[in-house]
Amino acid sequence: MMATPLTAARAGLVACETCDLLSRPVDAAEPGYCPRCSGALEWRRPHSLQYTWALVIAAAICYVPANVLPVLNTTALGSTDSDTIMGGVMLLYTTGSWPLALIVLVASVMVPLGKLIALTYLLLAVQRGWAGGNREKTRLFRMVEFIGRWSMLDVFVDTFTVALVQLQPLMSVEPGPGVLFFAAVVVLTMMAANSFDSRLIWDAGTGRVERHG
Amino acid sequence: MAETPDRDDLPQATVVPRSRARISVVWIIPVLAAVVGLGIFVQRILSEGPTITIVFKAAEGIEAGKTAVKYKDVSIGQVTAVRLSPDYTKVEVTAKIAKSAKGLIVEDAKFWVVEPRVTLSGVSGLGTLLSGNYIGFEVGKSNKAERYFTGLETPPPITSGQLGRQFLLRAHNLGSLGIGSPVYYRQLQAGQVIGYSLAPDGKTVDMQVFINAPYDQYVHEGTRFWNASGVDVSLGAGGVDVRLESLVALIAGGLAFETPPFESGTERAPAAMVFTLHKDRASAMKQPDVISARYVMYFTESLRGLSVGAPVTLLGLPAGEVTAVGLDIDPATLNIRGRVEVVSYPERIIARLGARDAATGQTLERSAQQRHELFQRMVEKLGLRGQLQSGNLLTGQLYIAFEYFPDAPKAKIDWNRDVPVLPVVPSTIPNLEAKLSGILAKLDELPYGAIGADVTKVLALVNTVVQDAGKAVNRVDADLMPELRTTLDEVRRLMVTADGVLKNDLSKTLDGATTTLADIKKVVEELRGPIATADLVLKNTDATLLGQHAPIQQDLRDTLQEVARAARSLRVLMDYLDRHPDALIRGKTAVKP
Repeated sequence: MMATPLTAARAGLVACETCDLLSRPVDAAEPGYCPRCSGALEWRRPHSLQYTWALVIAAAICYVPANVLPVLNTTALGSTDSDTIMGGVMLLYTTGSWPLALIVLVASVMVPLGKLIALTYLLLAVQRGWAGGNREKTRLFRMVEFIGRWSMLDVFVDTFTVALVQLQPLMSVEPGPGVLFFAAVVVLTMMAANSFDSRLIWDAGTGRVERHG
Repeated sequence: MAETPDRDDLPQATVVPRSRARISVVWIIPVLAAVVGLGIFVQRILSEGPTITIVFKAAEGIEAGKTAVKYKDVSIGQVTAVRLSPDYTKVEVTAKIAKSAKGLIVEDAKFWVVEPRVTLSGVSGLGTLLSGNYIGFEVGKSNKAERYFTGLETPPPITSGQLGRQFLLRAHNLGSLGIGSPVYYRQLQAGQVIGYSLAPDGKTVDMQVFINAPYDQYVHEGTRFWNASGVDVSLGAGGVDVRLESLVALIAGGLAFETPPFESGTERAPAAMVFTLHKDRASAMKQPDVISARYVMYFTESLRGLSVGAPVTLLGLPAGEVTAVGLDIDPATLNIRGRVEVVSYPERIIARLGARDAATGQTLERSAQQRHELFQRMVEKLGLRGQLQSGNLLTGQLYIAFEYFPDAPKAKIDWNRDVPVLPVVPSTIPNLEAKLSGILAKLDELPYGAIGADVTKVLALVNTVVQDAGKAVNRVDADLMPELRTTLDEVRRLMVTADGVLKNDLSKTLDGATTTLADIKKVVEELRGPIATADLVLKNTDATLLGQHAPIQQDLRDTLQEVARAARSLRVLMDYLDRHPDALIRGKTAVKP
C-alpha cells in the first residue's frame, strides 16, 4: 500500500480553478472566493457527481428513442423508407459492405453506449469509494472525453445527406426524430464527462468524497 | 510540493455565506428527456392503426416496409410483412393501416394489387412504374370491422360511388368480350362489361354491363344492344360490308347500344333489366316486318352460293330474303330440282313508292287481294320472273332478282296453294362462264413457246449490239483522248505567245497609226478643194460612166484587170531579175534543182 500523496485538499488548501492560485480556505465548508481573480473557490467541483448522474441518466433515456426512431426518411420514387441506426447497419451488412456496417455500428451504437457505461462505472466507483486502479480509471475518463466529439459524426452525415439529397420529386431525404435524440445523447454524454471532476477518482477511499456528492 | 509552504504567508480568503440546495436543478434535464421520450412513445402507440392481413395468390411487387395501401391514391397504410400461408399455397400480406382510416376497414372492403396493366382497352397503373406496386383498396358498405381479407386478382371494374345502372345482357356466346370491354353509345364510351357467367342452363351467356351515369338514362326498354367487337365484315351478295365501332373495340371487343327510332317512346329501363345481345347492328336495329308473304321457286340449275338470308330484289331493290334452300322432286317429271323458299316484305317496296302513290301504297298495304292482283299482272303482262344472279363473281354468292323478261314463256301464279310458286327463268351466269372459258381457251392456244424463243433471240442481238457500242466508246476514249490533250496544250502555248507579241506590236503600231492619221487629216484638208471640183466633174460624167448599164464601166473593169495582170507579170519579171541579174544578158536559164 502506497502512502497517500499530498494534495492541496489534504494540505487544507484550495486551488483556484480559474487562475490556479493556491489559497487558504475560509473554512472547510465554504472555501470562499479567490483573492486574486475573485473566482469561486471549491474543494472539488460542486455537485459534480449529481450533475454527471443527471446528465448520464438523461443520455441513457435519450439513447432508447435514438435507436428506435428513424434517423432518416428517404422518399425515393414515391415510396418512403424510414431507417433507424440499426436498420442502416443491417442494410449495410446485408448488402455486403460489412466494414462500413462495422464503422457505423461502432461509431453510432457502441461508442455512445460505451460512454454511458464508462461514466456510470466511474460515478459508482467514486461514490462507493472503490479504491484501486485509479490510473486506469483516469485513462478511461480521458478516453470518454476524447471520444465524445467524434460521436457527432452520425449527425453530421445525416445533416449533409438531408441537405444534399433533395431531388424533388424523384428523391428526398428528411431527418427523422431519432437523429434529434441521437444528438441529445452525444451532447449529454459530453456534458456529463465535462461536469465529472476527475479529481474525485483520486479522492476515492480517502474519505473526502461524501461532502461533494 | 515536498515541504508544506508557510501558511502564514498565504493570504486569507474572503467569505460570502451562501446556501446550497441539496438537489440540483440539473435533474430537470433527465426529467425532460424522459417526458419527451415517453411522449413520443405514447403518441406512437396512440396513432397506431389496425393491423390487417390480406391473402393474395401471388405477391408480385409487394415488399414489406415499402408497399403502401392506397385508397383514392392516398396512402392509408403500409405493408409490414409478407409471408407464405401455412399451407404454402398463398401469400399473407400484413399491413398496418393508419388510425385515421380505421373506420374504412370493414367486412366487405376490397383489396387488390395495383400494377401497371397494359390491356388492349387501355393502360392503367402507370404511376406504379415509378413507385412500385401498391395495394389498392375499395371501401365496403358494411359497418362490421374485419381484420382478415382475401385480395382480388384484378381490380374491381366499378368503384363504389360511381353513378349509373347495371343491366343484364343475354348472348349466345361471349365472343371476344371480357371484363372491362367497353360499351359504346353513339361511339362514346358509356360503360363497360363488369362480369359474365354462363346461364344455368348452359345455353346462353349472361353479361353484366354497367352504364355510367349520364348515359344510363338513354337505356330504354326498347333499347337494342349489339356486339360491336372487332370488325364486322359481312360477305354477302351485297358485297363486303365493314363496320367497326372504334379502334379499341376492334382490338378489345366491345358492345354498343342504341334505341331504334320506332322504340324511342318506351320507358326508361329499370336497373338489372335483361336485354338480348344481338350479333350486329343491322340485326339489332331491324324493324320487324309486319306483312310478309312466303313464296317458293323451283330452279333446275346449281344453287351453290345461294345461302339462307340472301337478298331477294325487285328491280334491284331489296324486297325480301331467302328463307330455305333445298331439294324437291317434281311430281310431274320425277326429277330432282332445287327448291328455294323466299319471304317477301311488301312494306319495303311500298315504302319506296313516291308521295304521289301514297294512297295506292296504303291500299296495297291493307289488302292482300290487291297485292296479289298487282303481282299477277306483273307476272302475266310484263313477264316478271325470278332469276338467280351472281352478287359477287369472286365469291360466287348468289341472290334472287325479280326482273321483267317480256320474252319469257307465259306463266300464272296459283294463289290458292299454301305457298304460291313463282315462275323463274334460267340464269345468265352459265353463259358468262362459257364465254370466259372460251377466252381462256384462246389464250391457251397462243404459241407461247415460239414467242418466247423469238424474244430470247432478239434479246441476244440487242446484247451484242450494246456490247459493240461499248467497245467503240472505249476505243474512241483510248485513241482520241491523248491527241486531244496535246493539241489543247499546243493551242494554249500559242495563245500565250500571241498574247505577248500582240501586246508589244500593238502599242507600236498604234503610235504609228496615230501619226499617220494626223498626216491623213492634213492631206484630206488640202484635198477638199480639188475634191469639190472633182465632185462637180464626176456628177457630170456620172450619167455616162455610172449609169446602170454604162459600157464604159465594163470596159474599165476589163482594162483594170489587164493592168493588174501586167503588173503581176512585171513583178515576176522584176523578182526574177532581182535574183538573176545576169538573165538580162544570158536570157532565162533552167532552174537548178
